[in-house]
Amino acid sequence: MSIKKYFGPLSKDNPVLVQILGVCSSLAVTAQLKPAFVMALSVTIVTAFSNLTISAMRNLIPPRIRIIVQLVVIATLVILVDQVLQAFFYDVSKMLSVFVGLIITNCIIMGRVEAYALSNPPGPSFLDGLFNGLGYGLVLVTLGTVREILGSGTLWKMQIIPASVYEHGYLNNGLMVLPPAALILVGVMIWIQRAKMN
Amino acid sequence: MKFSNRYIFIFITIIVVICAAILTFASVGLQPFQKANREKERMAQILQASGYFDVKDVIAFYKTVSEETTLKGDKEELKLIKIKAKSGELCYVMPLTGKGLWGPIWGYIAVKSDGKTVNGAVFDHKSETPGLGAEINTPKFMAQFEGKLLFDEQGNFVSIKVVKGGVANSNIKPPYGVDAVSGGTITSQGLEKMLEKSIQPYVPFLKELQNKTVTK
Repeated sequence: MSIKKYFGPLSKDNPVLVQILGVCSSLAVTAQLKPAFVMALSVTIVTAFSNLTISAMRNLIPPRIRIIVQLVVIATLVILVDQVLQAFFYDVSKMLSVFVGLIITNCIIMGRVEAYALSNPPGPSFLDGLFNGLGYGLVLVTLGTVREILGSGTLWKMQIIPASVYEHGYLNNGLMVLPPAALILVGVMIWIQRAKMN
Repeated sequence: MKFSNRYIFIFITIIVVICAAILTFASVGLQPFQKANREKERMAQILQASGYFDVKDVIAFYKTVSEETTLKGDKEELKLIKIKAKSGELCYVMPLTGKGLWGPIWGYIAVKSDGKTVNGAVFDHKSETPGLGAEINTPKFMAQFEGKLLFDEQGNFVSIKVVKGGVANSNIKPPYGVDAVSGGTITSQGLEKMLEKSIQPYVPFLKELQNKTVTK
């Protein structure tokens, strides 16, 4: 079995660009690269492990309460991630604020659990979650990079655009730090993605 | 496969108990680290109010420049931090707590040893709206407080007003007002109330400081 069959979410089956899931958080946390990256990592961990856990129990879960069980597992994982961030990455956790908790409501995670983990063994489920998380992460990191360079002139808080450019009258694009800019950029990315697929 | 009601109840109970246990262990285990982070942030904010930005080793530096004391207030003891500000002056930092639109807001204000001039202020919030109320903890907003006065010429405590529409367009004199955050009216009002309410108990102490500087 080739690992290639899990690569879909990275491009032609991308959760954000093709399935249009998880758009809210990708607009909210991508003004800078660092929070975008940490968010991507957190979501990837949660999707991978929620898929793994649910898949391992899939034959024990009564179908009538499966959504409740899924939510309990996902919420537990998200709170764990939140607690770890607060303990070891305090500044990023403050930047992400409520959006860490809102990972629980990220449709990608429940979507994968419902569509894949409930009917597949743990190994493939884990990989499916992992690559879906990475597909989401790819979009976030791209957005974070573009928005931080154009909006603040920095990347990962390091100055990228030299001071001499500013002296010649260059200004940071104020729109880029606001969520609407992310909406426009996501639109452009979806456009590129669709053009590639046709 | 058919699951009985009994099975469903037992199953969900076990799952929930396991999850709760995991979370309890995580919370208890990580608490010391989270507490240390919050403490460090508190120190960093006090340092910022006193004019120190970009301090590398916050905890060690904080201990060398500051001294935490308490004052006897009317009802309870008041926390006060004596600190040698970046300007070299001795400053007194007072903690502030109040309510914003969605949740608590808090901060620190550093007053110079004359007892009325603000050296600097720092604000933070739990869940104010990004881009609107959350702007209270941007450097641009906080920088406005430097050099403001807490007492008028007659020596009455007037606090600092947070003025909607800008101080320049109002009848409040510039040393007693700052520009409110546009789009963050309720947060701005909460901040104004917080300043007044939190500084009020310190007024006797600040007056004492003023008298000292006069007699000197």
